[in-house]
Amino acid sequence: MIDEQMAVFVGSGLRLAVPIIFAATGEMLSERAGVLNLSLDGMMLMSAFTAALASWATGSPLIGVAAGVLVATAVAAVQAVLSVTLRANQLVVGIGFNILALGSTTFLYREIFGPLSRDPIPGFAQLNLPWLAGIPVIGPALANQTGLAYVSILMVVVTWLILKYTSFGLAVRAVGEDPRAADKAGISVAKTRYLGVLYAGILAGLGGAFMSVADSNTFTENMTKGAGYLAITAVIFGGWNPWYTLAACLLFGFATALQFLVPALQLDVPVALLLLLPYLLALVAIAGLVGKSRQPSALTIPFERGG
Amino acid sequence: MVMKNPKLARVAQGARLELVPLQVVVPVVSTIIALGIGLLIIAATGASVVEAIEAFWDGMAGSDFNIGASINRAISLALVGLGFIFASRANLTNVGGEGQIAMGGMFATAAALHGAGGLPLGLAFIVPLAVGTLAGALWGGLAGVLKAARGTNEVISTLLLSFIALPLVYWSVESFHLLRKPISDVSSLPESAEIPDSTKLPLLFPDNGSPLHIGLLIAAIAVVVVWLVLRHSSLGLRLRAVGLNAMASRRAGMRTSFYVILAMTVSGGLGGLGGAIMILGQQFYLTSDFSSGYGFDGLVVGLLSRGSAVGVVIGALLFGFLRSGSINMEISAHVPSAVVLICQGLIVIVIAGSAILTNRKVTR
Amino acid sequence: MAVLELSGLTKRFGAFTALDDISLQIERGEVHCLLGENGAGKSTLCNLVFGVHRPDAGTMTLGGEPFHPRGPAEALQRGVVMVHQHFSLVPNMSVAENLMLGRASAVLKPQDIIVRMEQLAAEYGLEIDPEARIEDLSVGERQRVEIIKCLLGDPQLLVLDEPTAVLQPDEIDALLAICRQVALRGKSVILVTHKLGEISRVADRTTVLRQGRIIETVAMEGADIRSLVRSMVGRDVQSAGSVLAAAVDIEGKTPAKPSSAAGPASPGEAVLKISDLVYRDPHGVPRLDGLSLTVGTGEIVGIAGVEGNGQTELGLILAGLAAPSAGAIVVRGTPVGGRTPQEITDAGVGIVPEDRHAVACIKELSVAENLYLGAIGKFSRFGLLDKSARRKAAEAMMRDFDVRASSPDVSMASLSGGNQQKAVLARELSLDPLVFLLAAQPTRGLDVGAIEAVYNRIRAARDDGLGVLLISSELEELMAVSDRIAVIYRGKLVGELAAGSFSREAIGAMMSGHAHV
Repeated sequence: MIDEQMAVFVGSGLRLAVPIIFAATGEMLSERAGVLNLSLDGMMLMSAFTAALASWATGSPLIGVAAGVLVATAVAAVQAVLSVTLRANQLVVGIGFNILALGSTTFLYREIFGPLSRDPIPGFAQLNLPWLAGIPVIGPALANQTGLAYVSILMVVVTWLILKYTSFGLAVRAVGEDPRAADKAGISVAKTRYLGVLYAGILAGLGGAFMSVADSNTFTENMTKGAGYLAITAVIFGGWNPWYTLAACLLFGFATALQFLVPALQLDVPVALLLLLPYLLALVAIAGLVGKSRQPSALTIPFERGG
Repeated sequence: MVMKNPKLARVAQGARLELVPLQVVVPVVSTIIALGIGLLIIAATGASVVEAIEAFWDGMAGSDFNIGASINRAISLALVGLGFIFASRANLTNVGGEGQIAMGGMFATAAALHGAGGLPLGLAFIVPLAVGTLAGALWGGLAGVLKAARGTNEVISTLLLSFIALPLVYWSVESFHLLRKPISDVSSLPESAEIPDSTKLPLLFPDNGSPLHIGLLIAAIAVVVVWLVLRHSSLGLRLRAVGLNAMASRRAGMRTSFYVILAMTVSGGLGGLGGAIMILGQQFYLTSDFSSGYGFDGLVVGLLSRGSAVGVVIGALLFGFLRSGSINMEISAHVPSAVVLICQGLIVIVIAGSAILTNRKVTR
Repeated sequence: MAVLELSGLTKRFGAFTALDDISLQIERGEVHCLLGENGAGKSTLCNLVFGVHRPDAGTMTLGGEPFHPRGPAEALQRGVVMVHQHFSLVPNMSVAENLMLGRASAVLKPQDIIVRMEQLAAEYGLEIDPEARIEDLSVGERQRVEIIKCLLGDPQLLVLDEPTAVLQPDEIDALLAICRQVALRGKSVILVTHKLGEISRVADRTTVLRQGRIIETVAMEGADIRSLVRSMVGRDVQSAGSVLAAAVDIEGKTPAKPSSAAGPASPGEAVLKISDLVYRDPHGVPRLDGLSLTVGTGEIVGIAGVEGNGQTELGLILAGLAAPSAGAIVVRGTPVGGRTPQEITDAGVGIVPEDRHAVACIKELSVAENLYLGAIGKFSRFGLLDKSARRKAAEAMMRDFDVRASSPDVSMASLSGGNQQKAVLARELSLDPLVFLLAAQPTRGLDVGAIEAVYNRIRAARDDGLGVLLISSELEELMAVSDRIAVIYRGKLVGELAAGSFSREAIGAMMSGHAHV
């Protein structure tokens, strides 16, 4: 009985972590290049909605994901124009996008699906990998995931490789740390940052699409519920390192999953307190850790070529 | 000699002196464009634009009651907006208005329900207002302390504090041990009991049915005080100095941590006051989502104002009326009020994006 | 044949013309020096050649082809490389990573770079550990990395912007030797400097810039140094006195009479007493390592040293912006080590900090606000500011200290560096009480006129009985102004010279840790 609940808990923890892993991994690369996308939540929300819509309209969750990623990338492109070329305040722009995303998805959802529709939409099937299922306790939870969930881990590896072994990754790190030096070494600061933001957009798109098409098979208003903010916090908590960021995402995922485990175990803990737990953890994390890990020196600072 | 002669520089600037400063043009133009887009969206849904506008107008200002309700909304937005510009004078971005409103409203409700009702001489509503303000101040001040002590970015911390405050309100109206009203035969919704009449804010025009309350006077005083402090006081200059260059301010003998915490505390306190006024002046009982969207509206108001207290008043009135209008539009013309969110998002993005135009000149 | 040809180049920043109709040819295989005061337009010229800025008028050709770089990337592609005044290395990356930046293929190949580094080490004697992190390297080593970075791609033209300002004397020699070697291999070198001593040692030709214009271009064989100086500053050196000689380091020699402009020093009782001062940075590295020093009333004590030997930390600690790890600082009997800036000010300490923009003033605020930054409460009543009283007081102070601005209400940013520094001096010297003044790199980035004003103020303060500590990386400045010079090396004072016994060679040796006196 307890084992079964643990399996459910692990499974839901992982599922809740996946969108954050996607978004945080992309965001980490963008922040390494010096651009903070507070609009991550908006990108995810727009992607979740678009993926649901496209999947519902075409019957193909794959097309859904593609459409979601496309929309999130488009948002990222606008964010990049504003943060890089127009040197706007990255935080304020991000908040603007989140308001816009909430408004537009809510509006379109009501217009297209009608108020508060809960019809399921075509989604991905779980893979049920037998060789994973054999692991005790967490095995079934690991195995019963959609393919997209495994892609999220793959993206962490890819991102790590990019940062460590490619000249693009080197450029990203240089641009985020000392854009003036990078510029003088002949690197285009703007181009590198654009690519970083677009990368964050693509991954946030995957994360958002996962929520609607792979996880819940439906769209609900404001369904990200601040997951984008959690992803940003995970990046800070993870000290801008891909593996630590992954660990932070898992932590937040499991903290969120507690709200399903605790009632199941019939513990008398108010649900409200479980709702705020991931955010509280995040706050404690950034308050406790920021001093120790060094953020990219040029994070959120627009670059303007000068003498 | 490297430097430009300041006199020459001024003459050069004067040559391209605009009739209306960009600081005013940009918010006005972007608001108009955003509203235009809103109308286009309404038209695109196939709803009657005329009907929608009529419903919108009716909701905003169709009657004394509606005007009063709109202004009441503007009062809370103005307070949050004032809080925003207060913090931003010290170069701090308080985006946690939502959480500060939530804490203010929750604690004001608690004070009103538990004891303040019997107090004489207007203390019945003054005490809950003060308690709400204090709660918001603590919530904002916490972000200030984290910033001063740990260097935690206040944008992230105030956002997270909002995400923490909202479940707390939910908890308080969910739990019978806290503020949830006892289950009666009529309803068992998760909300608090209605606050005692003595704790409700007195109406300004009790005779004509307008819900306009004395929160208007409180907000007016706040506007004047914030304006004086930010523009003409030594405290305002110190906040500005600390925000512009903490190191130089420290060298000049200022305790920079103190001013960071103070700015965030006052900023949060104004948000908390806004939340308290929402409960005591208008809603009268606490629900889990009573603050919904007010924080972000207040933030937008603060952004639009570009640091000016007068700008906050204008922006707050605009959004107060917009919100009233959009609610009525949804009810009467069946156009989702999310259209207004779209407009707001666009306004924020456009204004932030055009900062490159307006920031060339040193503000002030 | 000319490698680089500039004709009619003009560059404006707003209403200010930084370069005006510049025409110049750089020949293949020559070391061409650009000489000029701060603000003469030398750096701007380099930045145009390197594509950091784009000219408003005029044309450039490189190797006979039109050359209009839209950014450093394009300049690099065409074989123009530059070592900047402020290094352009990413501090938390390794040497190899910095060298790969901007030139590697899609996947990084550190081995290729290491092989190339070995070649350069053999060719020019430029050796450095490819794995070392930039932030752990000394200033001289960082510059070596910069030069390696430049030479990696086998460039046509090497531009060096004030490269010697941060180096020890022996490092300067090595750098100048490298310049000659590069020229010998058929490449061209543009060397920007304001030190005549270096020019006579390395240049084939020299172009003098003043106020954005070319005054003259001369071949160095048989050139008259005095006439170069006259072209550079626009007046006769003799009349300007030793200040000018100090500022331009004529022939790399000590000015004839070190403290000729200074009155006889008569040091009295101690105003500042530092004993066994230790400061460890956040990484635990000792930046100050048992430093002891006494400054008496009515004397100027100079601290000489290569940058990065603890001067910055000493300045921050005296200003109250960093707390010492151990040791004591006493000003007239009041312990001030680790105290707040306010307590230090109250003890009678004035501070002219090394970093004017970060510490001394807030450029967005007005001149009046900056003059009373530490005394905001002085002009406030019931918490509200009395701006007209403040303006009046500020006007008086600006008159006294010759701070030139159209009004006390203009922003500090609109003032020239010299006037900003005069404003800072005005504020600090108007403190009451005042017994001690720290002046850290007080003339950095100033033109000759302002330098003179700063020296005069410092001397006047000394004559009024103040103890003055002058921290400077300009040896000539220290020798011209100080009554006593102590040399700092790796966080310790390694020697001291009394007035009259100043010797450039002795101080230089101590600065590089080679000798104790």
